[in-house]
Amino acid sequence: MSTLRIIVVGGGIVGAACARSLVRRGGQVEIIEAGDGPGLHGATAAGMGHIVVNDAEPAGLQLCLLGRKLWREDAPPMNPDDGFIESGTLWMAEDQHGLDNLSRAADRLATAGVTAHLLEGAALFDAEPALSRDLIGGLQLPQDGVLYAPAAAAALVAESRRLGATIRCRTRVTSVEENRVVFAHGESMVADAIVIASGLDALELCPGSENCIPIHPREGHLAITTRGTCIISHHVVEAGYQKGAQGEEDEAVACAVLPRSTDQLCIGSSRRPRRAGGLDSDLMERIIHRAERFIPGIAGLPIIRKWTGTRAASADGRPLIGLLPGSSSLWVAAGFEGLGITQAPAAAELIAASIFDEEPVIDPTPWDPGRN
Amino acid sequence: MNSQEKVSIRVDGTVLEVRSGTQLAAALMGEGIVAFRSSPCGDKRGVLCAMGSCYECRAMVDGHRLVRTCLVTVQDGMEITTERPLEKKLLPTVETTDIVEDETGVVVIGSGPAGLSAACVAAELGQDVLLIDESARPGGRIWAHRGQMPAVVRYWIDKADRAGVRRLQGATVIDGEVGWLEAASVISGARTRVRCQKIIVATGARERFLPFPGWTLPGVVGAGALQSLIKGGLDVKGKRYVIAGTGPLLLAVAAIAVSEGAEVILAEQASLLQRVPLAFSLLASPERMREVWQLWKTLRGVEKISSCWPVKAQGNQRVEKVYLKIGNVTRVEEVDGLAVGYGLIPETRVAQGLGCVLEKDGRVKVDRYQRTSVEGVLCAGEPTGIAGSEAALASGQIAGTVAAAGTPSFQLMQKLRRHRGWGIALERTHSLRPDLIRSVVEDVIVCRCEDVVSSSIRGVRSLRQARIQHRIGMGPCQGRVCMPILALGDTLEHDSVRPPWSTCPSPRTELSSTDGH
Repeated sequence: MSTLRIIVVGGGIVGAACARSLVRRGGQVEIIEAGDGPGLHGATAAGMGHIVVNDAEPAGLQLCLLGRKLWREDAPPMNPDDGFIESGTLWMAEDQHGLDNLSRAADRLATAGVTAHLLEGAALFDAEPALSRDLIGGLQLPQDGVLYAPAAAAALVAESRRLGATIRCRTRVTSVEENRVVFAHGESMVADAIVIASGLDALELCPGSENCIPIHPREGHLAITTRGTCIISHHVVEAGYQKGAQGEEDEAVACAVLPRSTDQLCIGSSRRPRRAGGLDSDLMERIIHRAERFIPGIAGLPIIRKWTGTRAASADGRPLIGLLPGSSSLWVAAGFEGLGITQAPAAAELIAASIFDEEPVIDPTPWDPGRN
Repeated sequence: MNSQEKVSIRVDGTVLEVRSGTQLAAALMGEGIVAFRSSPCGDKRGVLCAMGSCYECRAMVDGHRLVRTCLVTVQDGMEITTERPLEKKLLPTVETTDIVEDETGVVVIGSGPAGLSAACVAAELGQDVLLIDESARPGGRIWAHRGQMPAVVRYWIDKADRAGVRRLQGATVIDGEVGWLEAASVISGARTRVRCQKIIVATGARERFLPFPGWTLPGVVGAGALQSLIKGGLDVKGKRYVIAGTGPLLLAVAAIAVSEGAEVILAEQASLLQRVPLAFSLLASPERMREVWQLWKTLRGVEKISSCWPVKAQGNQRVEKVYLKIGNVTRVEEVDGLAVGYGLIPETRVAQGLGCVLEKDGRVKVDRYQRTSVEGVLCAGEPTGIAGSEAALASGQIAGTVAAAGTPSFQLMQKLRRHRGWGIALERTHSLRPDLIRSVVEDVIVCRCEDVVSSSIRGVRSLRQARIQHRIGMGPCQGRVCMPILALGDTLEHDSVRPPWSTCPSPRTELSSTDGH
């Protein structure tokens, strides 16, 4: 087979992962990035960087598991502070109802062969001494972790370039046609395959995207503390987090606090159906109060920076990964919402398998962009 | 205030008797404590800017992390500890301090010449005015003083008091927009939320630093920093200082150091030739002539070297030796301290936070009435371009008048033009030499908060990229020290400002770190 010429639109974590998977298979890959470099914009730059296995729905679980496995075993060379650190996730239950839910999740995870420990009473506080003593239990996923996504995207691009890929920065793509991308300055470029991994605006670029599951913006707020304040060792998340995640109309606030390798805490989170704009101080206050309900004293830690970001959320909560309906040369990988960092390497493998006509590692049909 | 009176403070468990009214950073340095914190790579760090920008002097004060000791006056019974990482354990929840709600017509941010004059004029024209300022005392950096208040400061403060200006000292504005602002106490973090119709930003300037090997050693401070520390109560009698960098500020710093009994060597990067035009423009202003003559008399015995700058500082735990480059020769000086600053740059963070557009060169863009690009936000003094205190006074009065819906007089506008012209001339004659900018060597720490080395950021194309990919400016100072260094070589887009506009203590006390359980 002659060398496939492939364009990847977007140098965020998903585009960067796709580039590496494609160049490894012998593709002649060019990444087109609107910003000054990979990983500087969108959810890659604004997100927390948690690598988390989420069993909100069974197909997503498979994608998370594959993603986590690839980050653990096949991460590009990175500064150890930025790379994957196995800190584990701790889902917390406030009451018996929450604990029952976690217990059922533990069973499901066990069935799927995922290591997870249900912690009750004192065991919870042994695992995480900073937690509020009125919590009644938690679910620990020890193999989850954290990485610094902007650096990970840059490292994936660097590895791809060593294998022969190229990147063109400060170049905005205005539209995509069969076998062709069109740039803002009027030029265009042809390719055998085009992977659109530009997050929120991915579908706006594509012809025929009205036949796809739509992607909506979902804003989040985050804050980071100064160094020397890392009082937890797990990514501490409240069990209601997923419930909040599904809420379409209303804004949701849930405790999600992530320890960073820099001895800082990243404090979240919120979800609102809109693009990120200015900071909402009252919402930020509520996030910190919510975090304090689970991790007392957290509001006493000084905060360096607060910011907002936009997640690209698909209408049915599952990302769009695969060939666009009716197209023969346009693939999309977008709409990961809060799981893009975790799932990026897995999605990249699915895209690459599809472009190179390989047998996929996991069944790709749940993420078909043209699904109903 | 009686400066002979003593108060006792406790520093990492040791009780110290220090002079009442002293700036905390100066008091600690006076007791021989030059290292205030450890950097991420474990280096000891001490005061750099002494004006609230760099956060190098931060410590835990009375249970609050991130207190800038240069902004705080010593109080009897104050408890100061070096910031230490917290353990992974349960912290007690503490009561939230209520946010104080306030309401006014005009908020003026900064109480230097521009802020004080703006506040006065607006209040005299009938506005309710609240003046918010980071320092413990009004006057800003240029009017900071020790003991007796200088006449000009007294004049403006009395005028402000008479006009009914309310003052909130020791508070920093951290968030807001037209309509409301949130301020935090620099010592307790206690919040005040102010509803307001107009905002006048008069946040002054900060010092520009250039990195060189050893500039992170405790005892290497800014030029303006040395002045601020001496005014804050640091005793320099019998100490030997190299005062280096550029600009007229160096002369003023050397003069105060000399009159306080220090031995000084003055090193100016600009050449004599570069400064000749200045001498001519001086002739046009007898007032300025007199000022300069006074300075010159004070500095008679001081060695002054032109076309000279420090290329290295050395010492064990603190600066002991300074290497000065004079042409092709390097001269070594044994010192007690090095004060080095490369001029002033506009402090625009608050204006940026409010959404004001900047000019390419980093000044806040204003029209002739000091109005910014944001409706209801005015800006006066150094943020609109470094031009000195006379220009600041004039632009402050204009801003105050406009904020009160008045029309500034022609004389006032003329005055501003004249003084600004002088300020610009002064800037030009002290512009940084290309060979000095080029001499910013590889492998020197640029971002002192995060210990980012210059060589690691070669080829970055924007400040955003430097921040996100290389952690430049990700510490408490949020790039106030390092971003201007990065912007020197290239014209990079301006950095983004996010709340909190200044990092400050949490409004809740961190009890657990002192109660030992």
